[in-house]
Parts: sequence; C-alpha cells; structure tokens
Amino acid sequence: MGLIGFVGLMGLCGCDKIEEGEYTVYDGAAVTWTSGTLTETPVQRVFVEKFTGPKCSNCPLADETLATINDERVVIVSINHPTGQGLPFPGEPDLRTEGGNKWDAWYGINAIPSAFINREKSVRYQGSMTNIVSAINQALNKPLILALDVHAENELTDVHVTVNLKFIQRYTKPITLTAALIEDSLAYKQLLPDGNIDEQYMHNHMLRKVITGFWGSEIDCTGNADESRQGTFDFNVGEDIHLENSHIVVFVSDKASRSVINCASCRVMNEE
Amino acid sequence: MKNIQKTAAGSRDRVANGYRLSAIGYRLFCVGLIFIFQFSFFSPTKAQGILGGHVTGNVQLDGQMSHADSVIGADDVPEKLLMNARADILYSNGDFNAGLRLEMYQNPLLGFDAQWKGSGVANYYVSYKTEKFGITAGHFYEQFGSGMILRTYEDRYLGLDNALFGVNVYVRPVEGVTIKALAGRQRYYWEMAEGLVRGVDGEVNLNSVLSFMKESKFRATLGAGFVSKYEEDELIPSEDPTMRLNLPLNVGAASFRADLGYGNWSLQAEYAHKGQDPWIDNKYVYHEGNALLLNLNYSQRGFSAGIQAKRIDNMGYKSMRSLSGEMLYINYLPAITKNHTYAFLTMYPYATQVNGEQGLQADVMYKFKKGTLLGGEYGTDLHLNGSLVAGLDTTITGGAGTEGYTVNGGLGETLYGDVSLEIAKKLSKAVKLTVTYAYQVFNPVVEGEGHKGLPLIHNHVAIADLSWKLNKKHSLRFEAEWLCSDSYYDESDDHHSDRRAGDWLMGLVEWNIGTHWFISLSDQVPYNDGIGNYYNLSVGYTHGATRFQLGYGKQREGLLCIGGICRQVPASNGLTFSLTTSF
Repeated sequence: MGLIGFVGLMGLCGCDKIEEGEYTVYDGAAVTWTSGTLTETPVQRVFVEKFTGPKCSNCPLADETLATINDERVVIVSINHPTGQGLPFPGEPDLRTEGGNKWDAWYGINAIPSAFINREKSVRYQGSMTNIVSAINQALNKPLILALDVHAENELTDVHVTVNLKFIQRYTKPITLTAALIEDSLAYKQLLPDGNIDEQYMHNHMLRKVITGFWGSEIDCTGNADESRQGTFDFNVGEDIHLENSHIVVFVSDKASRSVINCASCRVMNEE
Repeated sequence: MKNIQKTAAGSRDRVANGYRLSAIGYRLFCVGLIFIFQFSFFSPTKAQGILGGHVTGNVQLDGQMSHADSVIGADDVPEKLLMNARADILYSNGDFNAGLRLEMYQNPLLGFDAQWKGSGVANYYVSYKTEKFGITAGHFYEQFGSGMILRTYEDRYLGLDNALFGVNVYVRPVEGVTIKALAGRQRYYWEMAEGLVRGVDGEVNLNSVLSFMKESKFRATLGAGFVSKYEEDELIPSEDPTMRLNLPLNVGAASFRADLGYGNWSLQAEYAHKGQDPWIDNKYVYHEGNALLLNLNYSQRGFSAGIQAKRIDNMGYKSMRSLSGEMLYINYLPAITKNHTYAFLTMYPYATQVNGEQGLQADVMYKFKKGTLLGGEYGTDLHLNGSLVAGLDTTITGGAGTEGYTVNGGLGETLYGDVSLEIAKKLSKAVKLTVTYAYQVFNPVVEGEGHKGLPLIHNHVAIADLSWKLNKKHSLRFEAEWLCSDSYYDESDDHHSDRRAGDWLMGLVEWNIGTHWFISLSDQVPYNDGIGNYYNLSVGYTHGATRFQLGYGKQREGLLCIGGICRQVPASNGLTFSLTTSF
C-alpha cells in the first residue's frame, strides 16, 4: 500500500494539469504574411540581449561597454531580471515583463549582468563585457542569410507594423518572427559600482512588451533564395509607454534552436 | 514551413551527442568489425577471459544493392551498396557488467530513415547487479508492466532504438518486492531527445510477502508504476492565430496491474492513465489518455485457450511532442492480433492505433492425441485464432487547444479482423505438413490518415507448408501460398496504386544440405488485378555461430510490422547479403 501511495505521490508531483479554458494563451499580435519587397539595402545586424536589474551594481559597467558600440547594426534589448537584483526599489516602476521573464528562464540566468548575442545560448557574456565588442563585430561579418526591415505607422497608441524580409541564401528550416517594444530614456534608481544609488539613472533599450508570441510567430515561407515576404500586424502600445522614446525590435529566429538569423528596429512614432 | 514535423527533422543539424565518429574513427570502426569477425570465425572459444572477467559479443552486417525497376517501383541506389552493421561487445566480471555497441549505417539500407546515416558508438553502459540491488549507468532498456507507460527497446529490423541514457536502479528490500527507478533521455538516431523521462515502478508478489499465501494455489502479483516526461515550452499555434497552446511541460502516466493465477487459469490485467499530452499525432488536443489490457488464459496438457481484450484512448506517449512516426515513444502498446509469419498473411499487417482502438482476440490450441481418429499415428496440432479491432466511437468537439473529442460507448469503424485455422500434422517420420486458412478484413486507414475513406480490403489466404527430411543430412521444405483479395491495382488512381493489390500465388523450395548449407528459391506472382513478379534466390552457409547469407531478387514495397510497430519498406531489386556471428 505504501508503494502505491509513493507512486501516487510521484503522480501528483510529475504531472501538469491545465484547466479547461486555459488550454490556449494569448500569443501576441497575429502576423499576416503576403509576398513583399525589401525596402532597404540588405544588411546583417546583430541582436544583443542584456539581462539587467536596478539593484545590480555591475550592470552600469555593461551599459558603458555597450554604449561604446555606436553602430546602428547592433540592436540591443535590455531585459529586467525577474528576481534578486532585478527587483525594483520601493516606489519605483517595475520593468519586469512576462516575455522577459520567459526569456530569462530559458537562458537560465542566475547572475546579472549577462548578455547573449543572436540568442546563442551557449556563449554568455558577464560582468563588464569587454570581450563582447569583438564578438559583435564577428557576428556582423557573418554571411547574410536573410535581410529584413521594419516600418511602423501609429495613430495615437494604435500601431500598424510592416516587416519585409528577403532570403539571400536558401534556408528551409522553420523560422519565426518575434517583435518586441523597447523604450529608451527611462530615468529611475540604479545601484552603481561604488555602492551609491543614482536616483535618475538613464535606462535605455528596456523591454516593455513582447508584441508577438514570446517565441515568435511562424513565418509562412518556403525559404528559397530570393524569396521575399511581407508580414503585417497591429498592436496597441498601452498607456504607460512614452511613444517618442520607443522602438519596435523585430528578429527572425530558427524555430528549433531559437538562434537569431537577423534583426531590425524602427521608431514607433511616424518619422515624418 | 508550417509543418510542425520539421521541428524534429531540423534537429539533425543540432549539436550531435558527441559519439559519432570522425573519418578516422570510421576507418578504425570498419577494421574493428573485420577483426572481430575473423577472431570469432576461427576461434571456437565462446567467451574470452580478460582481467578476470569475460568478453562476449556478436556482430551483424547487412548489405544491399538495388537497381531501378519501374514495374515494382524500385529506384536506383546512387551509392550502389548500402550497409547496416553493428557489433555488441559485452564484458562481465562477477556482478559487474559493461557493454558497448558500435553501429554503422553507410548508408542505411532502403526503408531506414536517412537520419541513421553515420557510424559510431551508439550504446554504452556499466552496471552492477546483485539479487538485492542493481544500478546501470549509461544506455539501458527497461519496461514497466506490459509497457503501456514505459518500454524502451530496440529492434534492428524496424530501425528503432529508443534506449534511455541515464541511470536505472532497482532494489529488492525483501523477497517478492521489487522497486525500480530511472531517469534519462531517449536516443534519437545519433543524438539525444530533449525530453527528460523519469519513472518509478513497484511490484509485490503476494505469495512471497504474505505468509498465509506462501502455500496457496492462488497466485498474485500486484504492481504500479509512474512515468513523467518533461519538455521545454515551445510555440504551437492554436486554431486562433492570436493564441498559442498553453502546454503542460510535465506529462505523467500511471499504471496499475495485477497478475493472478489459480490452477490452470491465469489473468493479467493492467490499466494505464495518461495526463494531458497535446502532441502532433493527437492533433494537439488536451483529452487525457487511458488504456486497459486484459489477458485471460487456460492451459492444460494438449489444450490451451486465451482471450485478450484491449482498449486504448489517446495513449501515444513520446519524449518529443512535435515528432510524428515511430521514434521516441516512451511506451509500447501491445498488439492483440496474431503475429503472423507467412508472407501473404503479413502482406496487410495491423499497426497499433495509439490514438484509439478497441479489440478482442481469442486463441485456442488443441492437440489430437496419437492413435485417435484425427490424431493418427503421430498426433495432430490445431490452432484457431481470431481477432477484431475497431476504432473508438468518438464525437469531435474541437481541434488543437481543445479537449478534442468525447468518447461514446459504441464501436468505431472496423480497423482489422482476421480468423485463422492452422493444422499441423506429421504424415510420416520424415514428412510434416502444416496447412493454414485465414480470412482477413483490413482497413487501409491503419497505415495513415491519407488512406481514410478507402474501402475495406477482404482477403482469403491459404497456405501449405511441407517439410521432408530426406536423410540425416538433407531436408527439403516446400511452401505454397494463395491470396485472394478484392483490392485492385490502378496506377492512375493514387488510392489504388498499392503494389500489394490483386490475387497472388507464391511458391518456395528450400533445400538444407547437411548442417552448413541451404538454398532457397521463391516467387510471388499476382495473377489478377496486380502487378510485378517477385522472385528470390538465397544461399546460406552456417559454421558454428557464424552465418552468411546471400540473396538475389525482388522485394515488394509494403509495411514491415513487428508487434504492431511498423516500418515502410520500399521496393528493391538486387543483391542482399548478411553476416552474423557471436563469440
């Protein structure tokens, strides 16, 4: 009887139960795919995810290093770590996001600052990240597989996004498009390396929202060289976001490995 | 690019498990195989003493050459020669054992998935086993009960190997009680699946544990097991494009079983239940799974009878939810149809339907004694078997991301049925005749959803098998088979371009020469509404534990099924050879 009880206990521990009505979850904006045309010169960009937190004294060092990279081809997203040094100071805004928490968990982040290039899980950059600069340059020089550009039009907080992509080389494995909203110039408290707190530290590239599903929306394409596709989707920015400081970041990933193939960004507000 | 299956196929490009061989390793592997073969061929010793222990092993090598034949649908083989090879090397020293298996698919035989291509050490383990305790680290095979929640096994002919790589432990704290626990990941061709498999199983023999039952005629063994698999979250779209599936990352399955006996009677019963497990072949629905297997038998000298019942509802259980096909099953759902061996009886084989089926099988064997009217001078064996499998009666309630369906009480469509009567009689000291008649009903949908809606196929099969021992050194075997089917061949119609179609005749002659040589010649010919002519000539030589066989002929395309698990075999036309040896 004890044996059956033990097996029953294991059963309770080792089985997830999804309640009826929760079998599906919101997966972000629905992307519609049609044939399209690339509107910008094909370029290889690099996607950098930096995990940070307001109570992380070394995080400003990583910010300094990344700030030295003055290259538009480098697309940076700062993700607030969900626990420990990522917790907000009392009374401060909470910049943790559901999407950021998912990505953090996937990487298994246990120390910040940490950064990854093109979602290559096996290579992690930590601390002041002085060696990340050369790695970014190497990634920028890789042969271009797929080029993409992104454009946004907004009417108040409603945004219509158009993504154009073109296969430069054949790539037939399933790929996904992920879109995220990031915000610059967020001034709030940050612990500094000397132990002091900067009350108005300027946080840039902060992830505010994953617009599509957390792991992207599958791209409807064949993957043959020279194929061009256009994806469009709509979303609402929300009231607590400063449109003038916000960007949309999009990146195309291999569905299985999640490695980023290329990325792009644009301002949310109409540029004219 | 929408095909979810590509997730699995794409995994070929992921980082390999690290045991596939480099070019140099491949050459060493080939040399090693040849060395092992020569060593065993010329040495009469069965086990080699090394470091106080013993080394044993076996080697198998299968080769194939095939060229195009448009009539039977065989394609040219660009490599000219295909080869599967394997060598198992086992070391044992007291309670300690270690083993490794080298495998080579350069390139895989026709019908084997191209992902097998490669060579290297595919399996290795060390183990320490005593009566009370045992532990295995590395690759291992395990089964809980009948396997409905866990069975890892390999079948070289099906091209299947779902070994777990991890740790497997058992303890027997008191006589009659066995507890097993394991954790690991499954082999996926030359890689490891991402999914993590954990399990515990316990079994109690009441006759050993309870003193008042020690001398009882009533025999009882009870068992229970639990398995859990963990997979990372992934993007599975629901029918609503703005929604994705909220996947259960840990999927559990539990089973309870009883093995009871009294006198000549025995009853095995097992019930299994699986939690929500949306995966590709159940169309990502959240309906929970269950299965029931009952097996009642009676046997006495000269007579045995058994009845088996099985009901499966959504019990496919894999460690990779986005993978279709036969790889990476954690569990095994036994077939309850007779495992036929004659060619025409296996032409339309039954494949277990993991999404849902229910069936019955009855089996009776009777021996008419010597000296009776029907037994004659040497006795007569009679074997009657019948089985019927039907689908579940379901009502569809939704697609991906829903409960999926409800199950009603009735029978679904007929999937398979057969009745066979086999009579075996020794006619004289030298001649034995076996005749078989079978009637089959086969629903093509069991070979895949693409065959849904096709009419049932009805077959009559008659077989005569005669063995004749000419003298102490020579014997002959003759086999004649006849298949009458209402299927027909029509190349212009996709649904009827199956080259099994039509009525068939087959003849086989086999000559065993002494203890070393045999020659076999056979031909299968459709004579009505069919296509092709499948002749085969085989020559074999056996010396001790070594056997070599060379064949030339044509192989019909079709399904090869073993225990309800099937592999598609394409047509081929050419030379085959095989070599097996052990030492």
